Amino acid sequence: MTQEARVQEFVAAFEKLRAEVEKVIVGHREIIDHVLVGMFAGGHVLLEGVPGLGKTLLIKTLAEGLELKFARIQFTPDLMPADIIGTNVIVEESDGRKHVQFQQGPIFAHILLADEINRATPKTQSALLEGMQEACVTVSGLSRPLPSPFFVLATQNPIEMEGTYPLPEAQLDRFLFKLRVRYPAIEELNAIIDRTTHARPATVERVMTGAAVLGFRELVREVPVASHVRDLASAIVMATHPAWEHAPEVTRRFVRYGASPRGAQALILGAKVRALAEGRYNVSVEDLKILAAPSLRHRIILNFEGEAEGVDVDRLVGDIVESAEARVGQARELFLR
Amino acid sequence: MPEPLADVVQRVSVQVRWRRAEYFALRGLFYGAIVAVAALVLKSPLRGRAVPVALVAIAVGILAGALWGFVKRVPPVDAARLADRAFGLHDRIATALEWAARPDRTPLVDALVQDATARAASLAPRQIVGRRLPREARWLPAPLAVALLVLLAPPLPLPSGRLPDLTPAGESEETKERGEMAMMDQQRQPLPRDQVKRSALEERDFNRRAGGASAAMSGDLSAIFKDTSIANQRPDFNSFLKKGDERLRMLEQADRLPDLQSDYTASQYKMIFRRSKELTGGLRPDQISPQKLRELLDEMERLGRKNSGNWGSDVNEAMEALEGGQQDRAMDAMEKALNKMRALEERDRGGKALKGGRDASGRKDRGRGGAGMPDDQDFGEGEGSLPGKGKSASPKGEPSHRLRGTPYDVGVEGESRRGKKDGYDTNMTGKGGQMGSRLGYLGVIGQYRKMMEDSIAREQVPRDLHGQIKDYFQALEER
Repeated sequence: MTQEARVQEFVAAFEKLRAEVEKVIVGHREIIDHVLVGMFAGGHVLLEGVPGLGKTLLIKTLAEGLELKFARIQFTPDLMPADIIGTNVIVEESDGRKHVQFQQGPIFAHILLADEINRATPKTQSALLEGMQEACVTVSGLSRPLPSPFFVLATQNPIEMEGTYPLPEAQLDRFLFKLRVRYPAIEELNAIIDRTTHARPATVERVMTGAAVLGFRELVREVPVASHVRDLASAIVMATHPAWEHAPEVTRRFVRYGASPRGAQALILGAKVRALAEGRYNVSVEDLKILAAPSLRHRIILNFEGEAEGVDVDRLVGDIVESAEARVGQARELFLR
Repeated sequence: MPEPLADVVQRVSVQVRWRRAEYFALRGLFYGAIVAVAALVLKSPLRGRAVPVALVAIAVGILAGALWGFVKRVPPVDAARLADRAFGLHDRIATALEWAARPDRTPLVDALVQDATARAASLAPRQIVGRRLPREARWLPAPLAVALLVLLAPPLPLPSGRLPDLTPAGESEETKERGEMAMMDQQRQPLPRDQVKRSALEERDFNRRAGGASAAMSGDLSAIFKDTSIANQRPDFNSFLKKGDERLRMLEQADRLPDLQSDYTASQYKMIFRRSKELTGGLRPDQISPQKLRELLDEMERLGRKNSGNWGSDVNEAMEALEGGQQDRAMDAMEKALNKMRALEERDRGGKALKGGRDASGRKDRGRGGAGMPDDQDFGEGEGSLPGKGKSASPKGEPSHRLRGTPYDVGVEGESRRGKKDGYDTNMTGKGGQMGSRLGYLGVIGQYRKMMEDSIAREQVPRDLHGQIKDYFQALEER
């Protein structure tokens, strides 16, 4: 199969999967695209929004469209790490002999829905850390690999709501994207009413296997990135650090900690998937601009002034991208260079 | 590189070159116009060349700017990026251009190059690089308008006072001044006595003796001075400055200047001797002013009363002789009084204020150091440093039993005064300040010299100052 054919196959699979999800989910096109981008990039996605916006439904629908093992954990304050990872239990054989056997937790799945992840304590939240980063868990000193592909889709309520525990920075950094699910527009709301109150709900077909997902992940990594695009990604991430000598004024004023190198990785990997999804063989500057906010918004920690003034992180990221682009090279600089 | 990609890059590069040529030509025009204004301002000295110079400056500015902009290198990647932006190619050409030559190219790169080539081939050629104006372009009308104004206006008056005069007359004057300067420099140099004699005057005398018809030889002596360079000399400002600099340098080295007060007024003998020499210098006794001689004798008598000097009788004798008109006798008597004054001062210098010094009678008069001290511990006359007068076989006497054990007494001649010695301070205030010094001058010097050597040994003093400090103490000892 030629490279062009592989790319065309990816584009078709991407669109088909998106179409299956859109059978159930009304609107949220951008959210659906970014969830798919995160999945093909090999990362995990955190969806944030008030209850009732269809976050859980979106993930369940996506799982239905894939021939993959799906598991769901409803995070509550009394949830323990063993409830996620699993534990050793004593099993009695038919002949009366007893032995210790590891009972796998729900994390041993291809697609894990961590619903309302910020309602559990940080201790329990951190049970996902090793699995998300290294695709394995360690129980009683024994490391156990997770099935591949492994994809965590978590939902969380806004931090201002009652009974929530903010995710630690280390946990947040493991998510490739953080997506904000907005309230639907009135046309979308009308469609939701029509579709969900119908006698026969829509059925979702399985359109992609786990092996196909893994194959597409390999293809994504072959997409070339020009040096000036890579430089822009680095400049964007560096511009989130207030200590950087070329950091913009908004960063110096409102940001306490900037994005980690995982931010740059997320930016480039996501841009590669997006380029392929559009049938392109290369990453463009526009890909970076579109994916900057999902990749960086949860990696930027505001300082007191930023919190007090209610700075919108998405707008902050927009300013940072502008300043980084001006630094890396605008048309005027190219003309006079 | 595929041909369509190279074509696109080449087309964009040429467009960039032309736009750059326009951009830098405008900048060159601006700066050329400024030079043109300057040339037109100087149109009176430049005469008919001002306008051509201005035009050339403008033309050179435009051409140099345009040339610089056109030959400036355009990186192919930059041209490709401009093409990508202009044609909405999502960085396809730039990425293909960069990755086509890379050894670590992925399988997708070939597809990318094909895709970029196909899209580049379908592009219609058009101008994609916009015109940009430099900042100077906004201000360009200003120098052009000024240049036009200056061109039409009459020549501006230029300050000519300090401009060099290039005429031949000026050259001769300059040469003359230079000659005078050289001569004055020669005069400032210490010349041998025979060279100081004015050779020019001798030659002039010789010419006059040789006879001639010139007006300068008509026997008028003033003509000599009228004709010489001395008469034409103007105040030499350079030498004035040089002397001023020398004085400033001396003031900077104030610590090296001689202590005039110490040398001439602190020593009464020297002061009187100096005045007597000034009075009598080169004159016979009958030529000396009796009034000034009387004033000098009065001063000597006053000093004798003040210091219990024994030259009062000699002064009286001199006064009597002066009143009798015998000035030679008066001079002899004054000479005797001066000798006695000198003897007293030498005696004071040898053992001043020290018990056991040469000033046994003076010590008795001042009433110092006598209480409770046996006479056999006194050293009496001649136990000081005066050679050959003491009872000791040593020419300087026996110092060991006179010196204290303290290291600060090293160098002190004689024995310090009796009494309680609880400190070395010599400048006391309050009740103690009314008492006399309790440590000899040389003792204090030795004390401070020791401290100075300790400080230098411990490197508390900057190395650059070591020499200066040692010179200071050396000067104190010599004094």
